Amino acid sequence: MQIYLPIAEMSANIMTLIGMGGLVGFMSGMFGVGGGFLMTPLLIFIGVPPAVAVASEANQIVASSVSGGLAYWQRRAIDVQMGLILMIGGLAGAYSGVQLFKLLRTLGQVDLVIAVSYVAFLGVIGSLMLRESIQVLLAARRGNPVQARRPGQHSWVLGLPFRMRFRRSKLYISVIPPIFIGFFVGMMSAIMGVGGGFIMVPAMIYILRMPTNVVIGTSLFQIIFVTSAVTIFHAVENQTVDIVLALLLMIGGVIGAQFGAYAGQKLRGEQLRALLALIVLGVGLRLLFDLIQRPDELYSLTRLGVGG
Amino acid sequence: MIRWFGLFLLIMAAPVSAAKAANVLVTDISKDHISIRSNFTGESLLLFGAIDTSIYGPVDGIVVTLRGPNENVMLRKKQKQFGIWVNDAAYKLGPLPGFYAVVSSQPLSALVPFDEQRARGIGTESLQANLLNGTAGEEEKSEALAAFIRLKENDALFDTRSDRVEIISEKLFRAEINLPAGMPVGRYVTEFFAFKNGRLIGYQTGELPVDIVGAGHILHEAAYDMSLLYGIAGVVMALLMGWGVAVLFRRQ
Repeated sequence: MQIYLPIAEMSANIMTLIGMGGLVGFMSGMFGVGGGFLMTPLLIFIGVPPAVAVASEANQIVASSVSGGLAYWQRRAIDVQMGLILMIGGLAGAYSGVQLFKLLRTLGQVDLVIAVSYVAFLGVIGSLMLRESIQVLLAARRGNPVQARRPGQHSWVLGLPFRMRFRRSKLYISVIPPIFIGFFVGMMSAIMGVGGGFIMVPAMIYILRMPTNVVIGTSLFQIIFVTSAVTIFHAVENQTVDIVLALLLMIGGVIGAQFGAYAGQKLRGEQLRALLALIVLGVGLRLLFDLIQRPDELYSLTRLGVGG
Repeated sequence: MIRWFGLFLLIMAAPVSAAKAANVLVTDISKDHISIRSNFTGESLLLFGAIDTSIYGPVDGIVVTLRGPNENVMLRKKQKQFGIWVNDAAYKLGPLPGFYAVVSSQPLSALVPFDEQRARGIGTESLQANLLNGTAGEEEKSEALAAFIRLKENDALFDTRSDRVEIISEKLFRAEINLPAGMPVGRYVTEFFAFKNGRLIGYQTGELPVDIVGAGHILHEAAYDMSLLYGIAGVVMALLMGWGVAVLFRRQ
């Protein structure tokens, strides 16, 4: 069954979109990742204009992060105070990102910037994930227990001025690093249509030294607000949020995530994690290939509205 | 004497010019408007009519055009820089139709000389546009215009086929034009031409409004006219959806 997407201005199959949402949702439920970094490229591959893919995916992530965040809220596994500080940076980053996005659109370079950002992030993250899972797999084969990484020295950035006590995380650190991290992730969220958990979570653990039991909940907590802001800013500045597209992805995504979370508890993780790493690398390579390969058509067309 | 001769000539010429003004075409369209609904995946439009053969005999051929509203476009050309293909030159062109179908019973060139095509604005080759930004040579501009036509054809927004008009026993004709899902909205103009020996002997024109109706229309309008409310609605929808599903699955 076909449906017309009013902002993407294209017709697409309802089941394809729900299925894509379901598949990515399943993987995100299983691995505890957001899934935006896979969904946005997939949307671009099926022909959704990159600017619409980014803004609509941000809208979808609001739903999936609420869904996931509620569970952490009930377990009290959220550092609300830290979440609010990250959010201050995040909202500023989201606003700046959307303004930059708007500027790039008028310059005709937004599709390029989206693609290059994805190639870089998917390449780095895919490689790191693959390396880690290979190490774990090899260690398991040798029968060695896997060593958990230990936090090293306290970083000087945490000792910067404007220190604040975060009771839930048992930290007394400067608010400058979390605001800075929030800003960076918020900007990424606006330009790439991701929640940014895959940057936020490691940053919380290795830079902010937060206890691991609150990082995912706190990350989801601030993602809800930042992606909500990204959605509204994109709607106002760029008119690129396709609610119909976002709704179909949400339906698939939230349901897929529930099954994924269930499957994640039953299945052995390490091989699957390696598989996810390969998928991430594959998507990145495909985007890179599209940038390097001589396009069949060198010209592209943008409608500017009714002319004289 | 000369004046009388002139009058005589005028009288002699009268039936001829009357015949020239005679229109051999009577036409109609299968729809008086097109509504794009959320399940619109394109449709086929039938344009048909009768040909009066009593004055000129059978026509050589019929051309039917459907032209969407004019708009300005930005064309960008990719160039390889630092190993990747990057948008480089930008050409702002306009006014150009957002949709243009030219269907005929024979190839256009077999029916009407190119000068005449251009004068009457028939066919993609007679499209003209102004460069609205910067400067570019004639050759560069026409290359951009050719790219515009190619891109529109790829999206099925330009349709030029010479086998889509069927003439039935010299007196009737029917033309079929495909309307794709991505067609722009606005006031479309239909034109019917009948040609004989390279001359226009029949002409009709009409209008065909195209609009988006239903939920898709409301959303599209809202996204542009009430963008803040639209954005907030998207967020509220997501919050409810995420919350609802989480609650639903916890129960089970």
